[in-house]
Amino acid sequence: MKRWLPIFLSILVLAASVAVRAETDAEVRARKDALDVAGAFSNDGFKIRDGHWCGVLKPHEHALVAVNLYAGNQYWFSTASAEPAKIAVSVYDESGKQVTTESYNNGEKAAAGFSPANSGQYLVSVDLVEGDGGSFCLVYSYK
Amino acid sequence: MIRLAKLCALALAAIVFVATGATDTGRLPADQLAKAVRSDSISIPTPGELFAALGKSEKTNWSGQYRGPMPVTYRNRAQIALNLGGLIADGFIAVQAKDSQQVKNIGSDIIKLAKALGVSEHLLSRGKSINEFADNNEWDTLQEELEATQNEVKSSMQSHADQDLVILVTLGGWIRGTQVVTAAIMQNYDERSAKVLRQPALVRFMQSKINEVSPELRQEPLVKDVSEQLNGIEKAVSFPAGKTPAVDDVRKVNEAVTKVMTEIESKELPK
Repeated sequence: MKRWLPIFLSILVLAASVAVRAETDAEVRARKDALDVAGAFSNDGFKIRDGHWCGVLKPHEHALVAVNLYAGNQYWFSTASAEPAKIAVSVYDESGKQVTTESYNNGEKAAAGFSPANSGQYLVSVDLVEGDGGSFCLVYSYK
Repeated sequence: MIRLAKLCALALAAIVFVATGATDTGRLPADQLAKAVRSDSISIPTPGELFAALGKSEKTNWSGQYRGPMPVTYRNRAQIALNLGGLIADGFIAVQAKDSQQVKNIGSDIIKLAKALGVSEHLLSRGKSINEFADNNEWDTLQEELEATQNEVKSSMQSHADQDLVILVTLGGWIRGTQVVTAAIMQNYDERSAKVLRQPALVRFMQSKINEVSPELRQEPLVKDVSEQLNGIEKAVSFPAGKTPAVDDVRKVNEAVTKVMTEIESKELPK
């Protein structure tokens, strides 16, 4: 029995570590704020995609999220930080070249909008411009 | 009212910043590109996004893209998951066609298939909402509801330790969506519409997710077959950036996805 106990515990720990990670309160807060930003674009006919990405921003680092977009659509990528900070959003094409975007920056909330000329993969970068970092959330809308 | 005022203020602020906020151009190094986060919840577009891009550039005959009633008595769980994704894409087509009865029929089939996977408990209320929105012709809300339904199916699968089936739902939806879009473009070809077909990274990502499922599931004949055919589909949608797919290119993609869709729908599984 003693021999089986460590094996059983290892399996239990492994199972717990691969289980789906629940969002923290800070991430939930950041998501709500990101949705508030995206909500403003809804007035202009943009539909908010029912999907999001939450992560942690550290000083001098950026978070890079891959998205696949369609030529013909217009997009807004909206993000918010849970902690006081200044953040910015930028978009790169699949070769890593930055694309020109319209942008909105308001401290811990930011957004970037553009209409891709080509369908395919793009990278959305969330940058910590000022602050100590913390949780952030990214959502996007399209029309 | 206060919320509306806040939103208006935010929109106004956005317009002000839009006028002044064009970013400088720069370039990301290749190692950073490779490290970008990729996730089902944000990196894979919904059928609704694909149809939105198509809907702008031509007068699409959405109801002409309907297919006959699907059997909801599949026994193989992988096949049910793939068909569930396809059925959700059918729901988006019915929304585009603004066909309330078709939306209700598909909503009911989605619940039946989800029940076969044991994920229907939370979905029953979604089914009721879909019917209500369809009766009231609330098409934008219906589209949101379908997206939410798809995500609820997936999160329910995750909580039931059916994580591996999630990518099959996504894949089934993408295959059915691409079948419909290619068929519509072939009927009424124009260059702007054809541009939506370029998605090599998306297919590569879905293939990589299938490679991560359990060896048992990966060895199931249908999953193995679909996975093998994805390699060909990836080539078919790998147009150089800036190149518009010609009618023949569109036909090739349509033939490739229709072949996979036929196998997914078939009651006889590949051996």
